[in-house]
Amino acid sequence: MTEKRKLGVFLCHCGGNISDVVDVKAVRESIEKQDGVVLATDFRFMCSNEGQERLQKEIRERGLDGVVVACCTPKMYEDLFRQKAEEAGMNPYLLEIANIREQCSYAHRFEKDKATEKAKVLVRGQVEKVRHLKPLEVKTAPIQPGVAVIGAGIAGIHASLLLANLGHKVTLIEKSPTIGGNMARTVKTFPTDDCAMCTLSPKMNEVYNHERIDLVTYAEVKEAKRSPGKFTLVVEKKPRYVTDACIGCNRCTEKCPVSTAKSPVSVESEWDQGLTKRKAIYLPFPQALPQLWTIDADHCFYFQRGGKCRVCAMVCPAKAIDFTMKPERLDLEVGAVIVATGYQEYDPTPLRLYGFGREPNVLTQMQVARMLDSMGPTKGTVSRPSDGRAADSIVMVQCVGSRGAPGDPLTHEYCSRVCCMVAVKHAQLIKKARPDTEVYVLYNDLRAYGKGFEEYYVHSMELGVKYVRGLPGKVRKEGARLLVDVDDMLTGRRLEIPADVVVLSAAMEPTPVDDLLKSLKLDTSPDGFVKEYHAKINPTETAVKGVFVAGCAQGPKDITDSISQAGAAAMSAAVFLGGGEMTLNPLVAEVDAALCRACDRCMEVCEFDAVKVDPEMLIAVVDETACEGCGKCTVVCPTGAISVRQFTKPQIVASIDAMAPMAVSP
Amino acid sequence: MTFEPEIAAFCCNWCGYSAADQAGAAKLTYPSSVRILRLMCTGMMDPYYVLRAFERGFDGVLVVGCHPGSCHYKSGNLQAADQMKRVASILRALGLGEERLLMTAASAAEGGVFADTATAFTEKVRKMGPSPLREA
Repeated sequence: MTEKRKLGVFLCHCGGNISDVVDVKAVRESIEKQDGVVLATDFRFMCSNEGQERLQKEIRERGLDGVVVACCTPKMYEDLFRQKAEEAGMNPYLLEIANIREQCSYAHRFEKDKATEKAKVLVRGQVEKVRHLKPLEVKTAPIQPGVAVIGAGIAGIHASLLLANLGHKVTLIEKSPTIGGNMARTVKTFPTDDCAMCTLSPKMNEVYNHERIDLVTYAEVKEAKRSPGKFTLVVEKKPRYVTDACIGCNRCTEKCPVSTAKSPVSVESEWDQGLTKRKAIYLPFPQALPQLWTIDADHCFYFQRGGKCRVCAMVCPAKAIDFTMKPERLDLEVGAVIVATGYQEYDPTPLRLYGFGREPNVLTQMQVARMLDSMGPTKGTVSRPSDGRAADSIVMVQCVGSRGAPGDPLTHEYCSRVCCMVAVKHAQLIKKARPDTEVYVLYNDLRAYGKGFEEYYVHSMELGVKYVRGLPGKVRKEGARLLVDVDDMLTGRRLEIPADVVVLSAAMEPTPVDDLLKSLKLDTSPDGFVKEYHAKINPTETAVKGVFVAGCAQGPKDITDSISQAGAAAMSAAVFLGGGEMTLNPLVAEVDAALCRACDRCMEVCEFDAVKVDPEMLIAVVDETACEGCGKCTVVCPTGAISVRQFTKPQIVASIDAMAPMAVSP
Repeated sequence: MTFEPEIAAFCCNWCGYSAADQAGAAKLTYPSSVRILRLMCTGMMDPYYVLRAFERGFDGVLVVGCHPGSCHYKSGNLQAADQMKRVASILRALGLGEERLLMTAASAAEGGVFADTATAFTEKVRKMGPSPLREA
């Protein structure tokens, strides 16, 4: 049963846009007769100040508790009219728009009579809908203060700093023993050739020392649970077996027997991309933060050989080695989460024609970045790993693992965006250091799309870097050198380029964090990167309210773009956290407890983790901080217990009936 | 007088309804007997609404959502497509003809698609004649 309403209908002429086609007077006269309509009036411009004042005056004077404004699309002024109605003392959710412009006078402008008839129907439909609407209240819900940022590469670092500087408490969680991510390895950055560490290191220090940033390294998020306004994360800190007493003297590393000439066990350095070995107790790189050594238990003789080796403990002057350390569990409650888990370099081994993994002198760009580091494995010179000789001829191959044929299981279909400029950067760094080196870049399309990139690319040609359009068919071995066969697509010639080193510009792949994404209920795009809410206009938010994405976790990006997006993600998170409470959209699902039989179907179809069956009460409970109001659950509910406010079945049916040919006319 | 089919067009707020707006703003035309009802998402499109529309004399029902993969709520349009498939078989069983129901997609930028679809569907229903459930 619906209560008796005092309804008002306001018809807008839109300065002729409507009234030149629709006979407004006829519509008014037809609607006046409808039950409960105490006022039907028309006006030249409802959206003008005068129109708004008139709406407010009538609401006040007649005590209207339901209004239909027949005008342009609700996308234009629904919010405005609702706000004005509220100011006049009416519940704003009792106002509906009848779209008699875009969907009537515009679309049917050559059929005035029919347009008028349709306008009558549309207005009637909305009047009946309004009669069935219920006043709604806009509620707020508290949000847990604090943000967790997952991943401490440049994106995570930047987002953390911005949020902390805004006054938010940030917990920055990093999987590896140090923060810094991939940027720390890249030596120099395009297009300015800035030293990567010189720009990154101050930010790392700032994060490390910030009073509002809690840095949790060598740790992983094991579990994430969302409840209204809050995320509860379970973080596991892996044991370093080195306590905070560590003074950074490096004696343990020097004496550790792993990876020595005599040792049967050697470990490839993650930092140097396998070009050097590291010990079982190590600091990843000199500027690593925190400056805490870590024992890699998977390779340490103490753990692998039943406690026989204790060399590090014996030489440590600070007594910082503790073999009994256990994983620690950290329970974290935050209001928002930023996923900044970054990327990893594609492993080109499956592309057998390029010989990576088989020929020692076939490298990836990240390995070359390490070689170009003056402190790196080859002290700044790109050299043949086979014999250590400086390379006189270097061939770079683009699009390795990127831009593959659709459906090819070995490669990715997407463009990794940065590899062109990485190749240009490395080619010219090589040319600047050793001008006699022959450097070829074999490319498909060279994408120098960013600020200063084209100039940088042209400059590399001035330095003598040779660009050949065409990707090689094969990399062959000939003596101590390699031969690269390529068809130059611009000249039509087949080239056979001798190379000391072949460098593969390998794709960017999302860091594998499937469990984390599953736990946070995040989706991935077909390319495997985290799916953003909207690729174009909402690239930092996700479908899970309160979870944001920054940097390469969302897709391939260079450092500039990662920083820009991290800033945007931080801003979105800050807006979301606001002053500690969120405004709830009232147009979401609600459950009639008397009808619910806890069958779980609403839960099964919900994309937003917004409805759960309370195990004790045995009824479905909607989390209004998460529900988006799509109404999927309302269709699958077998008892009609769940409905979306203002789109309930009786409300929609009222509109259908009112607009139908066989509607009972008043 | 020629038969003018009455069509109930259920449009999602984000794509279908916006496409209809765009059609109007671009001054495209389609039959005025297409009556648009706004839903937030076709995900809330209950099979019952289709049956109700026919019961009340509509000759055809059009459901316009987002393209697959573009749903504002991720998968509401996919659920709607499934539900409409179910209700189509009921229409067939009732002898109404499943062709009187069409679920389609038009993005907010596809006013032309909306106008063309609405026109073509109306013509198709016109050829089928008035719904047998209409009062004589």
